[in-house]
Amino acid sequence: MRARASTWPAFFSWTLGALASLRLTLVLIVLLAPAVVLALNFEEWRSWPLAIPLAGLAVNLLAALATRPAFRVQPALVVFHLSLGALLLLIALGRLSYLRGTLELTEGALFDGDLTTVDAGPFHAGRLKEVRFAHDGFTIGYDPGLKRNTTRNPVRWLDESGRWRKSVIGDHHPLVIGKYRFYTSHNKGFAAVLSVESEGSLPRTTVVHFPSYPINEFGQTNELQLGDAGGNVWMLLDFDEVILDPARKSEFRLPTDYQLIVRDGDARHELSTGNAVSLKGVTLRFEGLRTWMGYNVFYDWTLPWLAATSALAVLSLGWHFVGKFRLKAWDN
Amino acid sequence: MEAELQVLWAAIVAYVLSGVIAIFGVALGRHRERIVLGLIVLGLTLQTVSLGMRWSRIGHGPFITLFEILNSNVWSLMLVFAIAYWRIPKLRPSAAVVMPVMFVLMGWLMLAHPGEGHFPPTYRTPWLYIHIGMAKVFLGATLVALGIAGIVLLRRFGVGIRRFANLPDDSRLDELAYRFMALALVFDTLMLITGAIWAQDAWGRYWAWDPLETWSFITWLLLAFAIHMRLTFRPHPVRNAWMIVAVFVLAFLTFFGVPFVSESAHKGAV
Repeated sequence: MRARASTWPAFFSWTLGALASLRLTLVLIVLLAPAVVLALNFEEWRSWPLAIPLAGLAVNLLAALATRPAFRVQPALVVFHLSLGALLLLIALGRLSYLRGTLELTEGALFDGDLTTVDAGPFHAGRLKEVRFAHDGFTIGYDPGLKRNTTRNPVRWLDESGRWRKSVIGDHHPLVIGKYRFYTSHNKGFAAVLSVESEGSLPRTTVVHFPSYPINEFGQTNELQLGDAGGNVWMLLDFDEVILDPARKSEFRLPTDYQLIVRDGDARHELSTGNAVSLKGVTLRFEGLRTWMGYNVFYDWTLPWLAATSALAVLSLGWHFVGKFRLKAWDN
Repeated sequence: MEAELQVLWAAIVAYVLSGVIAIFGVALGRHRERIVLGLIVLGLTLQTVSLGMRWSRIGHGPFITLFEILNSNVWSLMLVFAIAYWRIPKLRPSAAVVMPVMFVLMGWLMLAHPGEGHFPPTYRTPWLYIHIGMAKVFLGATLVALGIAGIVLLRRFGVGIRRFANLPDDSRLDELAYRFMALALVFDTLMLITGAIWAQDAWGRYWAWDPLETWSFITWLLLAFAIHMRLTFRPHPVRNAWMIVAVFVLAFLTFFGVPFVSESAHKGAV
């Protein structure tokens, strides 16, 4: 019994020593490199192949802290390595609760929390449904060759105290509401505003977003569902004028002379602003044209912590090397 | 454009002359260090003027085309090496190793088309300058370490033993090279952090597994591996020198290879 009792601490101590080994650090770094290359090329390989060597490095670091006095007496080095560990932890927490999505918003319309596409971590518990903002159009300059230039997108948004506020976003200035960050994207275009009136129901306003412009310059079509009985009608935004001239500087704008072509089966209707047409018992009135803007949404509560921890990591690394090298001149 | 290219050519001529004098100086055992430094400074002055003329003409810095990236890197690498050459006299013979590497970049620069590229709106941020500045110091420190490692390797292969005899022994050169690798690690870390901050603001993500950022991270891992290996095994300076060569080659391929073989070096950057 006595022999067994003394064996366990020895085994524990040996294991801890092995886990703290710098040789193990090297092996784990070597394993991490191909995992990163795999992650670059295959999206489905971005979890376990990375998690295993990273978890190993975290264990290796903790074991080194527990067993290596020579490591512990170098506080800057310890802070640097702990910062790296904290970064890993924060990234993992961020992946559990992040949200990434896209939305399209018509000029003047209110964002009501619905996204076109969503990709979220399993524990995302944000309050996107409470976020409200609207945009008042945008300006995007284009250089010759249709090279997109600066985007300015004035927005109104509801702050946490319930007051409406105004700002201008675009390019590297996102709209930040709560922890949600809304970025303008290259995705934007024209939107037809229509009022739809059918027998026995109240009139409603609907919007049809035509595909992103100018990338779909020759495909400005979409479909509108008229209701349960009405089925779909096909729509084309028809204009001849050149909005963005590849030969010179220009600015994104609405066309001045346009028509909305509505096709229902073999019937074809040309609508100018204010015109209406009756289709299958539904009256469709073309109220006018506006712009729509596509936004990317990003939520990750760890961002400020990641920034602070990264700063701590690099400062402690610098502090460690300054302390190490200052005793002996570089040209000695 | 003609004038700025002529000034650039004059700068290249000054650099090439300094390199030739440095290489022959080592080979023939004649010290012409003041002339070498003077020509490097002349080259730097001329190249700064050329870069300034182009910047003022096209309205943005040298950050977009292959020509601009090579041009600015020749400038920054020569600047870092000139400072090291001036402040640390013992590593001056390493110019015989460093300058041939620079000749490769300069030759590539002369072959690159000097046309202009579109400057994306997401590049109009101070983070561009901070991120690229950190990257340039990182690559510069790695280049200086490469020069020192080159001396260790040349001596190992029996080249220039007599010419490099008055330099410190391999272990002291190894210690100096390690310092530059440590400096490279700090600035590589800063480059990754500032790049992530910029990417978050500009493209809504701090990391997107794009080829350039991923290979930059792999370079950081190799640098960390080289430093840990030195601590763990205390290898012979020759092995450390080979590690430095490996880090430089990977960093070089990441800087000058990935952006020009990948369809989207930085996703959404343009």
